Amino acid sequence: MRVIWDSLPGAAQDLALLIALLVPALITGLLVLRGYAPWPLLRGFLGRFRWSALLFVLLIAISTGMGIGLLAQERGLRRGTAQAADKFDLIVAAPGSELTALFASVFLQPSDMGLVSGNAFAEIAGHSEVEIAAPLAFGDSHGAAPVVGTTAEFLRHLSGNRVEGRLWHDHAEAVIGALVPLEIGEGFTPAHGIGDAAEPEAHGGAPDGDEVDHGQTDAHAHSHDHGGALTVVGRMAPTGSPWDRAILIPVEFVWEIHGLANGHAPEREAQIGPPFDAEYFPGTPAVVVRARALWANYALRSEFTRDGETMAFFPGAVLSGLYRVMGDVRQAMSLMALVTQGLVAASVLTGLFILTRLFRRQIALLRALGAPRRFVFATVWVFCAALLLCGALLGLLVGWGAAELLSRVVSARTDIAISALPGWTELHLLAGFVSLSMLLSLLPAAVVLRQPVVDGLRS
Amino acid sequence: MSLPLMISGLAVRSPRGRILLELPALAAAPGALIGIRGASGAGKTTLLYALAGLLDRAEGSVRWGSTDVLALGSEGRARFRAGNIGMIFQDFMLFEELNAQDNAALTALFRPRAERAALRDRAKARLALLGLAEAEHRVTSFSGGERQRVAIARAMASEAPVLLADEPTASLDRGTADRLIDDLVALVRTQGTTLIAVSHDATLLERMDRVLTIAGGRLVSDEGGICA
Repeated sequence: MRVIWDSLPGAAQDLALLIALLVPALITGLLVLRGYAPWPLLRGFLGRFRWSALLFVLLIAISTGMGIGLLAQERGLRRGTAQAADKFDLIVAAPGSELTALFASVFLQPSDMGLVSGNAFAEIAGHSEVEIAAPLAFGDSHGAAPVVGTTAEFLRHLSGNRVEGRLWHDHAEAVIGALVPLEIGEGFTPAHGIGDAAEPEAHGGAPDGDEVDHGQTDAHAHSHDHGGALTVVGRMAPTGSPWDRAILIPVEFVWEIHGLANGHAPEREAQIGPPFDAEYFPGTPAVVVRARALWANYALRSEFTRDGETMAFFPGAVLSGLYRVMGDVRQAMSLMALVTQGLVAASVLTGLFILTRLFRRQIALLRALGAPRRFVFATVWVFCAALLLCGALLGLLVGWGAAELLSRVVSARTDIAISALPGWTELHLLAGFVSLSMLLSLLPAAVVLRQPVVDGLRS
Repeated sequence: MSLPLMISGLAVRSPRGRILLELPALAAAPGALIGIRGASGAGKTTLLYALAGLLDRAEGSVRWGSTDVLALGSEGRARFRAGNIGMIFQDFMLFEELNAQDNAALTALFRPRAERAALRDRAKARLALLGLAEAEHRVTSFSGGERQRVAIARAMASEAPVLLADEPTASLDRGTADRLIDDLVALVRTQGTTLIAVSHDATLLERMDRVLTIAGGRLVSDEGGICA
């Protein structure tokens, strides 16, 4: 049996589980309704108590929807972050926190990091198994867009070679991410720093605030040959990562504008991109490495993990560690979602007990007219089941909407493309809820039968 | 099918043991029209419910033909009512969200599948007979008299030999009540149905073959019948 189950495709397993979870509800329904079709009465009850019924349906929909939305969102976030890190096979950075280096280089979160030296970079770039070794230089911005110095090779790799316009041919040219609000041909001057701490005039841009006392002002004279201004020459296709909102420029420009050597000997000062001269390499907080073969990544990680010099890590592995922690949170969330569903089911059950008292008189009438107990039972059960089913289905839509809304909010804040549609897990949760509540609905139906007919007629 | 009524030693007590109704013996022939009158709280409706087998605390026997309804379990009594007793209430007790046809054919929902279509046809015919041609209209749009006619059609759709009515004209104005009484009496006479009606309505009681008067839970007079 286990072998057969394992041999099934994932979707078939999910479908089978969904059906299995719905089976109790289906069996209950078939057994309870066998031989009867109390639909006109159901219509009558729903119409007569429409506001109470609607309130119940909304209560169920919102509570199930929130559970579904949160679970879908958590999964969407996990997928989105994994997708954002997809192009970053191996990162080499100065020793420190892998998580900090990951957030800085993959998710472009500002952070203080040590620098990888020129010799270390030369060793990485010169390794026979390394296809791409791209230094990253952070710290500048334009508006909300971080300005990142790197190489054209990495830009091609990151964008999958999908660039509108062209790559840079000159130090003062830039390629923008898909969501950057600039046009090709437009010029801009990067500000030193990011966010509120950015200093627009530090690199020769127009001051828009207080006078800035920048320690490297003299050094910036080096960049005055291009006035600190850059021209947009290309736009990357969307990557679904925070890099969509970044401006990529030659790393040489970043070094130059900060008054540092630009990675090349003076006689080759105009060169853009590798090879870099270790002697004139000012250091880089992170190097994105792409190996020629998958297996080589492991060797490279091992080779470039050196005490006091460099650390190499797989962003995917660091994210996995993070997911493990999140996995605990997820389990807690799932448990909370289940507990919430249980509480909702209990509240609904209580509500149904109260609601069934509203049509106590109609139930008594049915009994007085000779309706069998099973028919009355079926009528009350189908009323409860209809409310629960409508609430659960509406909850799926509410969950869908909540996940979509949360995705937009999180995407807007992180620039990570998140698609958080309800999936099998949520459908399974919903199916479990439906089955459980259908079984619980047997209780009010049974209780109604215990009410004396005459009391009901006189009520 | 005709069902003679034979009551013996009927006693209904409250949960605290107080006698609500005591009727040592009563007999009625099939097709009789019997009125029950008495002051409020005298036990009229209790007698009606006892005849329908709706009371759980009744002693003695209420025999319709060969069936003692008090000896049956609740499910057996329901089955007996479904086949033999139609009921009409003072406030109609219709399903407001349903149309006249669905209300009149309500019992078809729980009758055996083979009988359902015929019962629906009979319900439609009874509605027409009672002057309600707008069977597809929801009963919320109906007057009190029309609603009671729907209730009568519902009670008689199953061709039950016994019709129990609890104050069938109490919610109607005089003119409407008179027309309803005419139609009701004509219908039960035509079909040979036994009608037992609790009522304060003198016009209705005048049309009955017998009138029982209940006071303090006891039968104090039986006009036109045999009182033991």
